[in-house]
Amino acid sequence: MRKMLLAALSRLLQGPAAAGRTGAVSEASRVVVASRNYGDFASEATFEIKQCDLHRLEEGPGTTAVMTREEGLHYYKSMQTIRRMELKSDQLYKQKIIRGFCHLYDGQEACCVGIEAAIKPTDHVITAYRAHGFTFTRGVPVREILAELTGRKGGCAKGKGGSMHMYTKNFYGGNGIVGAQVPLGAGIALACKYYDKNEICVALYGDGAANQIFETYNMAALWKLPCIFVCENNRYGMGTSVERAAASTDYYKRGYFIPGLRVDGMDILCVREAVKFAAEYCRSGKGPLVMELQTYRYHGHSMSDPGISYRTREEIQEVRSKSDPITLLKDRMVNNNLASVEELKEIDVAVRKEIEEAAQFATTDPEPPLEELGHHIFFNEPPFEVRGPNQWIKYKSVS
Amino acid sequence: MAAMAAAGRALRAALPAGLWGRLAPLPGAPRRTAAHFAFQPDPAPREYGQTQKMNLFQSITSALDNALAKDPTAVVFGEDVAFGGVFRCTVGLRDKYGKDRVFNTPLCEQGIVGFGIGIAVTGATAIAEIQFADYIFPAFDQIVNEAAKYRYRSGDLFNCGSLTIRAPWGCVGHGALYHSQSPEAFFAHCPGIKIVIPRSPLQAKGLLLSCIEDKNPCIFFEPKILYRAAVEQVPVEPYNIPLSQAEVLQTGNDVTMVAWGTQVHVIKEVAAMAQEKLGVSCEVIDLRTILPWDTETICKSVAKTGRLLISHEAPLTGGFASEISSTVQEQSNSGLIVVPVFSTVSLLTAW
Repeated sequence: MRKMLLAALSRLLQGPAAAGRTGAVSEASRVVVASRNYGDFASEATFEIKQCDLHRLEEGPGTTAVMTREEGLHYYKSMQTIRRMELKSDQLYKQKIIRGFCHLYDGQEACCVGIEAAIKPTDHVITAYRAHGFTFTRGVPVREILAELTGRKGGCAKGKGGSMHMYTKNFYGGNGIVGAQVPLGAGIALACKYYDKNEICVALYGDGAANQIFETYNMAALWKLPCIFVCENNRYGMGTSVERAAASTDYYKRGYFIPGLRVDGMDILCVREAVKFAAEYCRSGKGPLVMELQTYRYHGHSMSDPGISYRTREEIQEVRSKSDPITLLKDRMVNNNLASVEELKEIDVAVRKEIEEAAQFATTDPEPPLEELGHHIFFNEPPFEVRGPNQWIKYKSVS
Repeated sequence: MAAMAAAGRALRAALPAGLWGRLAPLPGAPRRTAAHFAFQPDPAPREYGQTQKMNLFQSITSALDNALAKDPTAVVFGEDVAFGGVFRCTVGLRDKYGKDRVFNTPLCEQGIVGFGIGIAVTGATAIAEIQFADYIFPAFDQIVNEAAKYRYRSGDLFNCGSLTIRAPWGCVGHGALYHSQSPEAFFAHCPGIKIVIPRSPLQAKGLLLSCIEDKNPCIFFEPKILYRAAVEQVPVEPYNIPLSQAEVLQTGNDVTMVAWGTQVHVIKEVAAMAQEKLGVSCEVIDLRTILPWDTETICKSVAKTGRLLISHEAPLTGGFASEISSTVQEQSNSGLIVVPVFSTVSLLTAW
């Protein structure tokens, strides 16, 4: 702010001939008109990332990552969109426009954007109920996500799924029952192996679910399925901290005979490199991998959980100020001359506008008509009738 | 509203051609503001000593408190029960009885019930909580294949009768797929377990204490929409309400109406409206225990009235109403008059 004022002041003093970017009042900048000059940015930069803890692996992902300017801007925009979308959902929920259950993903954006950056669109992803971020990264536009939350026709599941049940191509949801999606992920991986198209499956679950999925580890390891099991460890399973729920909180080791990686889930480059490593490992036919992403959620478990009865506000504030994924990325980009603060601010403004429009759509779109209540129960050629709450109501089931 | 109208239409169809006006809220009938039903409290009982105003979750806490005090081997466990539970049913118990008697389990329903069966087999009293009835399915194998059959398969050498499983049950308005289910019909198909569903705090405490003391594994479903909404005068001391006994809440001559849990309050309202509007006297019965159910009371009532209406929240197909109606039809075929039976389901549970 002060730099901008200083620049404006110096511009004023130097006269109309001088104009330049914030903070750089120099001879060179005098010839620059007040617009972004792409030539002033680096095209890519190399970053140091934390080393991952390894389990049964000789070597892991490297400690450096290269990020281009385009990639950085793309990650920034994605993460910011998800952040703003979740905050908007919070707002809509408090206004009772969204009902039911709503599990928000803010704080964990680096996980989904990082995973998406490292896999191909033809790979498969399945996760639990904290799914809005993945729905976005897998290609569903924000307006369809918000419309699904508000239960309207324009939602990605036609308004019948809600917060926990969002799907799209190669994204199998969105699953309400804790841990139930992990064997499904192994099954998808089996299909990938069977079809032999060099695809993998990323099956995500949380620290709460990590205590009941051992059958899946066994099958995946036995049949060498190309499945990356990702535990998004946000330290709390609903209200229970990991120390009180698990005999071993080294979730990356819980696969025991399956090799594992522990990754800093707040650093998008760390996530990306680790998933790239894991994807290659699986694609080469070596079998499954377990990955633990250490991350954090700012909101409570769901909208009915204030999130402060089992953790302190100070803890949340600390994570927000020291490890926020968006801030980390922003600092990296600005400090390494990949983007300017204004440019990122412009992205923020554009994202806000997009979310507002999406929210507008989500609140004004009509709800699915009552006739569709019975649709899609079974797959049936001739439509059949479904009994309603009493003998005089019948719904037609078309599929 | 849909449930009321539906039950009303069912009544109209059940009765001979009579006067019928548009069903509308009447001055004498209980008024309802927002929910689809209005909880109707029972009068305070006098035979069990001092009473206190409690809602459903408080009456459950009181029952558990009594059980833990009386039985030194009793333990209460489940997900998040230590801090009081997501519905506050276990508030204060850990502080009072210690962390080795009231404790959390990790997130694993199969583990919770399996673990509970193990405790019960040694003779200690296990009171397990499944956080929502919708999550009971990973434990279904343990309940049906282990708990229910233990006594039979061991020739009465072993049993897990001191196991009670509690779970919040039923529609709550915003629960959607996985916080609204009523799975009593799935378990009704299994001999060896008992299923109990109370309609109010007074009933809940007595029935829960009976379940805990009963020497058979019991599943106790608590209507979650009533946790705060239902307030009654409940005795502070322990008391028992017998299992497998239906309660006739209101006698009548024209039609028998059977329900359990939240629906009991709906049909009570319908009965009042029917009396005012149509001059129809309804016999209202709360089934209370789903398995083994009180066939005698229901059949005797139907023999008197000649018509039966059953209302439940679970889907119609394979729902427990079909069991009741087929049993009643069998009885009626053996000598009673032919009975038209209607089943309705609350809210928008299709199928």
